[in-house]
Amino acid sequence: MKKTLLRLVLPLMLAVMMLPALPLSVVAEEALTVTVFVGEPRDQPTSDNKVFKMIEEEFGLKFEFEFLAGDLNETLGVKIAGQDYADLMDGGNYAEKLIEAGAFINLMDYISEEETPNIYQHVEPYLKRLLNEDGELFIIPNYGRYYNTEDYPMNYVNGPAFFLQKKVLAWDNYPMIKTMDEYFDLIERYVAANPTNEQGQPNEGFAILCEDWRAFCLFNPVQHLMGRPNDGDVIVDIDDNYKTEAYCIQDYAKHYYQKLNEMFHKGLISQDTFVMNYDQYLAKISSGTVVGMFDQYWNLQNGNDALRAAEMFDSTYQGLPLIYTPEQAGKEVEEHYLNGTVINVNRGFGISVNAEHPERLVQFMEKMLSDEWQKMIWWGIEGEDYYMEDGRFLRTYEQIQDAANMVWRNKNSAYVLTNSMAKKQGEMDDGNKWDPMVQPECYFLQMNDYDKAFLEAYGMQRPLDFFNDPIELAPYGEAWQIDVTVDQDANDAKLGYQDVQRKMLPQVIMAAPEEFDAKWDEYVAAAEAVPVSDFVDFMQESILELVEQVTGN
Amino acid sequence: MRRAKASTGTALPDRLGLSKHSFWHTLWQQRQLAFMSVPMLLYIFLFNYFPLWGWITAFMDYKPVLPLLENKWVGLENFKWLFSRPEFLGAVRNTFAMAAINLVFGFVFPILLALFLNEIRRTRFKRTVQTVTYLPHFLSWVIVVGIAQTMLSSTGAINQLLVSTGIVSRPVFFLGEGRYFWWLVGFIHIWKECGWNSIIYLAAMTAIDPGQYEAAEMDGAGRFKKMWYISLPGIRSTFMVLLIMNIGYLMEAGFEIQYLMGQNVVMDWSQTIDIFALKYGINRGQYSRAIAAGIFKSIVSIALMTSANFAAKRLGEDTLL
Amino acid sequence: MTDRLLARKSRNGLRKRSIFPYINAAGMILLMFITLYPVVNTVAISFNDGTDALRGGIGLWPRVFSLKSYETIFADEIIYNAFFITISRTLIQTVLNVILTAMLSFALSRREYVLRKFITTAMVITMYVNAGLIPNYLLLQRTLGLGKSFWVYIIPTMFSCFNMIVMRTYIIGLPDALVESARIDGAGDFYLFWRIIFPLMMPVAATIALFVAVGAWNAWFDTHLYNAGKVRLHTLQYLLKMKLATTSNSANAAMTSAEAAANTTLTTPITIRAAITVVSAAPIMAIYPFLQRYFVVGLSIGSIKG
Repeated sequence: MKKTLLRLVLPLMLAVMMLPALPLSVVAEEALTVTVFVGEPRDQPTSDNKVFKMIEEEFGLKFEFEFLAGDLNETLGVKIAGQDYADLMDGGNYAEKLIEAGAFINLMDYISEEETPNIYQHVEPYLKRLLNEDGELFIIPNYGRYYNTEDYPMNYVNGPAFFLQKKVLAWDNYPMIKTMDEYFDLIERYVAANPTNEQGQPNEGFAILCEDWRAFCLFNPVQHLMGRPNDGDVIVDIDDNYKTEAYCIQDYAKHYYQKLNEMFHKGLISQDTFVMNYDQYLAKISSGTVVGMFDQYWNLQNGNDALRAAEMFDSTYQGLPLIYTPEQAGKEVEEHYLNGTVINVNRGFGISVNAEHPERLVQFMEKMLSDEWQKMIWWGIEGEDYYMEDGRFLRTYEQIQDAANMVWRNKNSAYVLTNSMAKKQGEMDDGNKWDPMVQPECYFLQMNDYDKAFLEAYGMQRPLDFFNDPIELAPYGEAWQIDVTVDQDANDAKLGYQDVQRKMLPQVIMAAPEEFDAKWDEYVAAAEAVPVSDFVDFMQESILELVEQVTGN
Repeated sequence: MRRAKASTGTALPDRLGLSKHSFWHTLWQQRQLAFMSVPMLLYIFLFNYFPLWGWITAFMDYKPVLPLLENKWVGLENFKWLFSRPEFLGAVRNTFAMAAINLVFGFVFPILLALFLNEIRRTRFKRTVQTVTYLPHFLSWVIVVGIAQTMLSSTGAINQLLVSTGIVSRPVFFLGEGRYFWWLVGFIHIWKECGWNSIIYLAAMTAIDPGQYEAAEMDGAGRFKKMWYISLPGIRSTFMVLLIMNIGYLMEAGFEIQYLMGQNVVMDWSQTIDIFALKYGINRGQYSRAIAAGIFKSIVSIALMTSANFAAKRLGEDTLL
Repeated sequence: MTDRLLARKSRNGLRKRSIFPYINAAGMILLMFITLYPVVNTVAISFNDGTDALRGGIGLWPRVFSLKSYETIFADEIIYNAFFITISRTLIQTVLNVILTAMLSFALSRREYVLRKFITTAMVITMYVNAGLIPNYLLLQRTLGLGKSFWVYIIPTMFSCFNMIVMRTYIIGLPDALVESARIDGAGDFYLFWRIIFPLMMPVAATIALFVAVGAWNAWFDTHLYNAGKVRLHTLQYLLKMKLATTSNSANAAMTSAEAAANTTLTTPITIRAAITVVSAAPIMAIYPFLQRYFVVGLSIGSIKG
């Protein structure tokens, strides 16, 4: 009997062994397959995706995507160690690692006014910011290049804010929340009165995402409370010769974390918040149980979109620019959450040294940057995804809803690819906006009755109106863009500092109230022992250099 | 025909003028055995020994862009760096602590389970208990950690139980409090492997001559006396073999569970040498330091194994070699 | 055996009834409950409605029954591919590993074999010395170029030293007479192994096969390191790991807006995760009780020998 079993199993084995050798799907002959890595978790586009079909027909390129699964830093580390690079790589927030490891080809070898006019025109005004010391360019920025416009390019706030569910503001009769204290006070009162949401799920007062680089939700609020736009891990005093410091260990930061400590002990912050990953965070938001959080809108957008898709409009979020009171800050603070437009240096696709046809990829990027394809990227196919009326690009309500739906996008948009590619923002030559969500007609059309009534109650038109006008971009740009990987000690210090923050700030927040001060001192001491000063000194130096470079010339 | 093969077998060494007792001569005679084993030897040389070559980078400031030998030699600098790092020392401590907890739990609980299973007389009930307790062994760590996280979260079953029975007033933060981490790992291991590991002890107990129990009974020994004086000594040799084998693994605290379950908040307790090496080697690209950490681990493992083997020989137990 | 049972029965009849068996049985039932509760709970969640599951508090039975999570998973073609890859790798790895390991353990069980000591030592050392993650990764990825291929699942796992020792112990335990008589008939070692020893090794081979198969079925880290960039080579466990530990958008928007308006049943990650967990564990859960006989015997070998 055993022998028969073996006789049966062996041929089966052999058959199975042969199978993986066969191609699993019939591959079209002509198209060149381009491998792509995107440092963001996303879903694979469907095989019948209409935009990818058009791209294949036009350029003879097919794309094979790898999306992030797990830790970005580690994933890139594995690729660097194995020199295992996809043809196009978007390293996300750790792109500098790839540059440092020599993963990318220098695009300046391929860019010229004659060969690639679109790209040339795109980067030329910013070359001073984009090129490194050796005059090399590895990544064409995916966002932040505005055409034909001086206005702030948004109707809503895409960046940092303290978010609050609209129903909470409505519940309190539309108050104007300005300070941190008012904000948390409202959350407290709301949750006391509404322990669960309409579906009977318990409400959670304030969520803090602490996962990997997204832990900026935990680190960053203090700089904004102090009245500065986002400079990453440091705060820069423009008026005091760009004096740079790590704000999260300063005395003024203590007020914020003390507040969180208080909120934690009132049960308004769940302990699970410190161990949840991005997915769980989005799931929580999508369920409509999270009353408030500090975040950047693009980071929570999927959750907000899911709420919209489920038509739970009153659970969607309004961003609020909160500041410290003068006593907390030790000075009068003016709100500056919005910065002048800034090009997204080193974020987007680089072409890896493993790519066999870099010139073809550059030409592809060049063509995709043409007005014709930019319309496709932003708006889609006329008649299907948008329509024209009197020279205006317009969408119906359904088209707008579809465009916000991930499942629809997987099928009908090349978003997963184009998000990492160079894009035109601002206005087309005929005055239409590139971004449909900036086009006023579309923006106001998609705004549902709930949102309209909500803003009306505040006497406002757009969510953006809650914010002060952007301040002028500092000459150094935004400090988070400075590449720290070029200096090993500074980089070690930065990573060490972030480790300490990720590890100890939750402990500080959860500490028993009487132990708070001791825990805080322990945390500051740990950060200083890293020593964080290696990082801050490097940043200070780089900022002064950049300022001199830009203003001195 | 087989005979014919054997006779040509002696021919070649003879022609080469090898003496009948030489090593090569015997090897030629045993060429079928060699054929069954030497490829595997080459295999482990490629997959287990060849990568050891990479260890020399521990003595370098290794940058993967350069060809291996063009990197700068730094002597023991990387090891010095490691031992000056509280983070690394913490990782060593965590590795030992978790491995030790696993070792002790891994003996105590399965043996207890086997002892009590051995007392069950109803075969069907016994088999049901066994089948059920084997189950978690077949689940992957991904699943087990996922389940554990659900059970241990502030709204999970365990906290619900603790809160509803009034044992604690506020949910215990199992996943975010470092001091729980080692014990969690220990208990999750036990949940997963206790039933499985009891198999071997239970088998050893069933092999004990029932006459011994009967004799003990005559002498008026109670149930627990029989366990203590008959069942436990009956599994002594099994226990010793496993103990010797496992001492060498005192540096193996597991990898997947810490990798999947370790969070930033509990890093000081969850980071093992392996995770440390992964973090510095892969995440931060400091290959030399990571490899130095791996070498340290291997050296300690070998030292532990050799001493365990030595001790076993002295005690007259079986050894692995 | 029968005598023993009879003896025991009469003994029990004579002695005064002890409460120990009841306490013991109660303890065992508690143990089974602790073991099964999390598993059954996961199954219950997987069959629950997504929105409702977010309220928590689901025990051993779904509160609002729904198959939506399973529908969502099986609507994604990638899961079929992952099943195919997982099954292929498990089968190939198991058969190769068992045969090669058995062959080697046979060779190393022969006392007269001149290389026995040397090879055994070389093997045992590998149980304790490991070059570490990075050198191994570099070997497979860069030196051998096995990245992004199916063979990275097979080639590095063709052989296991620990299993070799278990098998060797078993072979040594077999009666010498078997080998001797075959030898006298002039059998070569191949013949000996394949025709005489290997068929006798079935209990231990089945146990080892189970070891290897469970390891292969549950492995995900190799996919993570070598094949993350190749969707077609993703295994079930890797898929599960991605769903458990990272973001996917499909779950929170597993429908079009039209559906959303018409249908209030949402699938959410909690139930999707539970469903994938169930799907990826179900095959092995369904099989192991039937193999119990084999692995209990196989595992017991070492203990009896010792």
